[in-house]
Amino acid sequence: MAEIEVPSEVTGTVWKIEVAVGDTVKAEDTIMILESMKMEIPVEAPAAGKITKILVSEKDGVEEDQVVAIIES
Amino acid sequence: MKAAVLREQNKPMEIEDVEISKPGPREVLVRPVAMGVCHSDLHFLNGSYPYMLPTILGHESAGIVEAVGRDVTYVKKGDHVITCLSAFCGHCDKCLTGHMSLCSSPEVSRKAEEEPRISQGGQPVHQFLNLSSFAELMLIHEHALVKIREDMPMDRAALIGCSTTTGVGAVFHTAGVEPGTKVAVIGCGGVGLAAINGAAIAGAGQIIAVDMVDSKLELAKIMGATHTINAGKVDAVGEVIELTQGGCDYTFEAIGLKATAEQAFKMLGRGGVATVIGMIPIGTNIELHGVELLAEKKIQGSNMGSNRFRVDMPRFVDFYLNGKLHLDEVISKRIKLSDINDAMEALKTGQDARHVIMMD
Repeated sequence: MAEIEVPSEVTGTVWKIEVAVGDTVKAEDTIMILESMKMEIPVEAPAAGKITKILVSEKDGVEEDQVVAIIES
Repeated sequence: MKAAVLREQNKPMEIEDVEISKPGPREVLVRPVAMGVCHSDLHFLNGSYPYMLPTILGHESAGIVEAVGRDVTYVKKGDHVITCLSAFCGHCDKCLTGHMSLCSSPEVSRKAEEEPRISQGGQPVHQFLNLSSFAELMLIHEHALVKIREDMPMDRAALIGCSTTTGVGAVFHTAGVEPGTKVAVIGCGGVGLAAINGAAIAGAGQIIAVDMVDSKLELAKIMGATHTINAGKVDAVGEVIELTQGGCDYTFEAIGLKATAEQAFKMLGRGGVATVIGMIPIGTNIELHGVELLAEKKIQGSNMGSNRFRVDMPRFVDFYLNGKLHLDEVISKRIKLSDINDAMEALKTGQDARHVIMMD
């Protein structure tokens, strides 16, 4: 089992979180949607696994490379 | 209504039936008449910029107001408008200091818990940049459009919605080009040609157009370029330094590549300013030779020409109608919405300046 960090690629605001802790995801599934310069930018799962932590809430600001969730793979 | 729906990156869009919501209090329903097919659409189609799917691309459009929400007083049914992705909230610090194109307020979108503006079978279709032009109707915030003169042809008005504003605005607003100065523009697509035209209107003394396609360099001359360089045949940086006898006062990168952004900086003379307009893919870093900064050379980004589009776009319409802004030559082909995938393929080759979709 490995813990995989899910980073945000851009600076933005969390608009909508699409998963909950305990959910199983496939690689490239949308974990959350960020709003950045009025664009809806998905944060995708880098690998398949189970969501063990969501580190941000809706309306939170996030920075580039900030880890926003953890997947156990 | 019919719309060109993108379901998967790098796959053709399909013309599908989608549902559009009714205007909310501050929303406007617009029937687009003409829509430009912009290279930025391709960035999202090919995934170099991620976006939520399914979506409807398109963000450079002009049309006629079909209906308005309860609180909208700025426009009425029948008004001619240009849409703009720089929807502004009007009360954040950026808006209130005149930098509306930097407004990042989400309030011009519908909230996550509200009914989406566009949907299909009860599922949301993500609105692209608060616009989604490749459709029979657009439901947008009232701060995402500007009224224009009715004697302005719609196909040319559409170009003002993005490429003209981005290129001319970068020259006027972001860089503030002064009369008599030396300018180079790398990339002669819709935005680069607009930057060249803008530099000519601003009174630049020397305007050097750089591209790898000779037909685009010919267009650049019509826009006001005083010199052209085919970067596929010669060392563009060396040529620019020689032509300007030491480098430019202003350079503009209108492609979105690491190499050309770095070239834009290398083409500067002492105290010059490089403005990167092109969309460099997320994750790409650019490198500068640090010692050049001692010569007070600068590099900056420009987003949508640092516009105040409610003021700028009617002025650009006037520039076109009084012959200063050359838009007729930029449109290489007028197509139907059903031809959208062919237009995207043409963008990949870089041969044509602009395809514009005309609605029936």
